[in-house]
Amino acid sequence: MTTWNDEELMAHADGEIAGERRAALEQALAHDDRLRERVDALKAQRQRVAAAFADVLDEPVPDRLSALLASSSAGVPPPQVIDLAARRPQSGELRGMSSWAAWGGMAASLVLGVVLGAQLLGQGGAGAVDVLTSDAGGRLVAGQRLAKVLDTQPAGQAAGGIAVQLSFVDKSGQYCRTFSAGDAAGLACRREDRWTVLAAASAEQAPLSEMRQASSSLPRSILEAVDARIDGSALTAEQERQAREGGWRR
Amino acid sequence: MVNSATEVRTQIAALLPRLRRFGRTLANSREDADDLVQMAIEKALVRTDQWTPGTRLDSWMFRIMQTTWIDELRSRQRGGQTFVDEAEGEFVGVNSNDAQVDAMSVRKAVSRLGDDQRAVVGLVLVEGLSYQEAAQVLDIPVGTLTSRLARAREALQQMLGGAA
Repeated sequence: MTTWNDEELMAHADGEIAGERRAALEQALAHDDRLRERVDALKAQRQRVAAAFADVLDEPVPDRLSALLASSSAGVPPPQVIDLAARRPQSGELRGMSSWAAWGGMAASLVLGVVLGAQLLGQGGAGAVDVLTSDAGGRLVAGQRLAKVLDTQPAGQAAGGIAVQLSFVDKSGQYCRTFSAGDAAGLACRREDRWTVLAAASAEQAPLSEMRQASSSLPRSILEAVDARIDGSALTAEQERQAREGGWRR
Repeated sequence: MVNSATEVRTQIAALLPRLRRFGRTLANSREDADDLVQMAIEKALVRTDQWTPGTRLDSWMFRIMQTTWIDELRSRQRGGQTFVDEAEGEFVGVNSNDAQVDAMSVRKAVSRLGDDQRAVVGLVLVEGLSYQEAAQVLDIPVGTLTSRLARAREALQQMLGGAA
């Protein structure tokens, strides 16, 4: 009886075996459930990996790349996402801070705060600083209302129109959580005992009613901000409960 | 041949989404991936005459990206720049059926593979190149590519488990 090694099974799953070998393997697969399971698992893995990167194709191509190849510099619509995240993970928050400062620091935080606040309240102005505000250093931090939700809500739940999706530990060892309110969403991480908002964006579409129950879909820029910072995987419900009881301190 | 450079330019532009995706399998962050695409395009544009019309332009670009990335890794190591830390903490399969969360854990697992393994995963599993095509991009024998891919898939399997 022929034995089949992993590489042959993989090649078959990838459609890379032809001729007699293929015929022989297909015959073996027809009679051997365990062999078939191994091939099926390899096929499933291929799909899963491909699916994990599929979204990149739908992302708008950054202007700087298209511009390299364009013969004329036609007007390109500005990106609708506000990304405060550090440009590279290894340079930490400093980069984000400096570009933030260049934006006009405090004034810009207020603009974003008002945008997020308005999404949440249905109208601009009053109450926006309850959601987002800035600290003495011009950093964007969670206001009272958002901070309360981040402190207390388990992931997957919403309160007062603010939903929390994910909790995780970032590479600097601090807790982070994603949140959304209306059309806006963001990523907040613990810094000096406060929830500092490191990225914010307007969501593609997330009506309030759906968001209350759904695990929700976060804007890509927020997922990428998570991706860049997460150490390991998201917290389990139990790990999250412990973090909450410990006041999100580490 | 006046038009051929313009023609290549247009065709590379059409490939941009896939180049960015391949970049994402090589580099950990979106910014690094886009920087890599940018460097590769800049290199490609000054040597468009080295591409043979009728051969796969995507493979040619992937190859430029791959070699550029290896150079970049070396120069960063020389410069003492550290990459995103490879924490030892065990990788817990995310027990959520949320496709976004699953995608994130898969990308994380890919990022923990060695650089050689990432390239084969990107070319074969994500970009859908045949073993032969991927081996040509990487300038290695098909047998080497096959065993490298098998090891990468085994490592992914261990990090992620079987459940989709």
